[in-house]
Amino acid sequence: MVGPALLLVLGLLQSPDAGALPPGAGVEGRPAAEHTSPIQALVDRAHPGDRVVVPAGTYDGDLLIDRPMTLVGVGRPTLRGSGTGSVVRVRAAGVTIEGFDIDGGGKGDLGRDTSGIHVAAPRVTVRDCRIRQALFGIYLREADDALVENSTVTGIPGRDPGENGSGIHVWNSQRFRLIGNWVGGTRDGFYIQSSSHGLVRGNRAGDLRYGLHYMFSDDNVFEDNVFENGAAGAALMYSNRMTFRRNRFVHNRGFASVGLLLKACDDVVAEDNLIADNARGIFLEGSYRNHFRRNVVAMSDMALVIYDSSGANVFEGNAFTGNLAPLSLSGKRTDTRFDGNYWSDHGDPDLDGDGVSDRPYRLSNVFDHLRGNLTAADLFSRSAAAAAIGAAERAFPVLDPVPVVDARPLARPPVLDAVPAGSSPSLSRSVASTGPPLLLLLIGGGLLAAGGRSWVSAS
Amino acid sequence: MISLRSVLWLCARYELVLAVRSRWLQMFAVVFAGLALAVASAGYILSGGHGVQDFSRTAVSLVQVVLLLVPLASLVFGGLALTPDRGAAELLYSQPVPRGAILIGRMLGVWLALAAAELIGFGIAGLVVQSQAGLDGLSRYGALVITAVVITGVFLAIAALLASLNPGRRTRVLAAALVVWFVTVVLFDVAVLGIASMLRSGSASRLLISATLINPVDAARTGALLAIEGTAAFGAASLALLRFTGGAAMAAAYVGLSLAAWMVLPLWLAARTLSRADI
Repeated sequence: MVGPALLLVLGLLQSPDAGALPPGAGVEGRPAAEHTSPIQALVDRAHPGDRVVVPAGTYDGDLLIDRPMTLVGVGRPTLRGSGTGSVVRVRAAGVTIEGFDIDGGGKGDLGRDTSGIHVAAPRVTVRDCRIRQALFGIYLREADDALVENSTVTGIPGRDPGENGSGIHVWNSQRFRLIGNWVGGTRDGFYIQSSSHGLVRGNRAGDLRYGLHYMFSDDNVFEDNVFENGAAGAALMYSNRMTFRRNRFVHNRGFASVGLLLKACDDVVAEDNLIADNARGIFLEGSYRNHFRRNVVAMSDMALVIYDSSGANVFEGNAFTGNLAPLSLSGKRTDTRFDGNYWSDHGDPDLDGDGVSDRPYRLSNVFDHLRGNLTAADLFSRSAAAAAIGAAERAFPVLDPVPVVDARPLARPPVLDAVPAGSSPSLSRSVASTGPPLLLLLIGGGLLAAGGRSWVSAS
Repeated sequence: MISLRSVLWLCARYELVLAVRSRWLQMFAVVFAGLALAVASAGYILSGGHGVQDFSRTAVSLVQVVLLLVPLASLVFGGLALTPDRGAAELLYSQPVPRGAILIGRMLGVWLALAAAELIGFGIAGLVVQSQAGLDGLSRYGALVITAVVITGVFLAIAALLASLNPGRRTRVLAAALVVWFVTVVLFDVAVLGIASMLRSGSASRLLISATLINPVDAARTGALLAIEGTAAFGAASLALLRFTGGAAMAAAYVGLSLAAWMVLPLWLAARTLSRADI
């Protein structure tokens, strides 16, 4: 009898949600009288379905919305929280909040999820809100069918990312939609856990820890988002069947930063994404049957990091451009399939003109082998010596490296029109001026002319 | 008594005139401009039109070209120009001025000529990049131009040393120049990597980092790439280097010190050898 009982106890301990609390338990209710916003009176007078308009101004105190209604700010009124809890608490289904500036006052309690807008009810819409100085920006807790649109969250300045909450935190909320939001200076941009069948489109998260931090959530779609300047662009764990299209994972440049990290994630499809200027481009651990098609992976220290705990992953038609090294493989073998990708460091010609280089591309050479053990060897990675070692090894193979090859490497970079262009200012075009290069020409020509003229005068 | 400065200037002008009329320099100017142009336009094409090509990226691609071609050109051209021969050099070095001043003056002249050829090459490549991608990263492009000019000086100084050690024997100077080029550009790095692979990781890192600062080609490449790309240039290895040297300013100081030493020491040795030589 001990065995089954023990299993039961273990099962209870392991269940992430413990299953014991009823929905809505433990969330903040009505704020204390002295911390209540003057708008509370308007809400309390409203009938279900009413549309309540709040004029411009600054309103101190917190607010509870406990009936289905639409609350609209006209002229961007500011709701300034008391600092003792979430500023706006949504506890009724079908609420819409629109057009507010919300100031969390830089205070709050991470353990109690203090937020700018805390939603614990289904079918809620948050639109055109700007949230600043709040621990969490917008918190969706068991809020199915929520829509957060065109809103901005900036964290509490001067704090370590770990001391802030997430910009938009989604927990146990199915069919959520996050569209056109902008998050910066928080802990994670979008934290999504145990929430499936959602859509994340056209958002931007930057200058924070993880742009997207994601667990136990399946079947979500990510399109046209930008994840930049973080410790990781997107870190996804323990989840299946996500789709990534036309996102930008760029400028994630910390010591161990990653553009797109998949850990124990299966059946992900990533198409037409730009994964550029990251310390490591794509990271796969314990992940199976993921497809990467037509992405651009550029300017990384290491384009791919693959653990041999991963399997059956496929890379097709991607462009790997200007990376220091193509692949770091942890383990002895991988069955990852590379087919028809473009590798900018592959110099082999295409003599028969079929668009495919005449020899397979090997994703490792002796220099990579050496580098694997020695970080400082990277200092030589762009020397003539590294190229010479690589060429010598191809001509006279002495090692038997892990055979990872792209059998049909593209001879020319593919035209990937759907991939978004880089976003940083240095990648954009600027005003044309031929001045500086012309100056170089003039100085050089002038020097030579001076030499020639002095000859003439001397003779 | 003619002043030292006018000796330097006269000799520099003399070499500049000779260099401008030399087929070698004209060839170098054309080859360098052609390669720079090819890299600049190829770089834009290789980026696949994803807007990842600008002055910085071109500068990075050009670093490789510069650090292969410029040392070779400087060694060969310097070796040819500075080797004392019967005739002109005999006459020149018999003048009542320090031989070191004459040598330095002539080296300055060659330096000016090579630098002029490089500036023209960079200018042409710059026009191409600028017309396609705008002016972003121009200062980094400038860092590359400076690197090229400095590394020219370093290898001219080495050429001057080789030349003054073998007065009247141009073939030997040229052979030695090629050996020096191969050692600094390829062999040194391969040897260091080989030795490092046999050491434990701590000492191996120290060896690799010291080696990048000691070899002038490595120092120039490391310095230029770090200046152009920041710590992204070598990933974690950049951070290891900065920690070893104690910060970016110190790393720059070490690179500068190494290059300056490689310019001053060979030149000083060359001047000393020359002043004792019987020409």
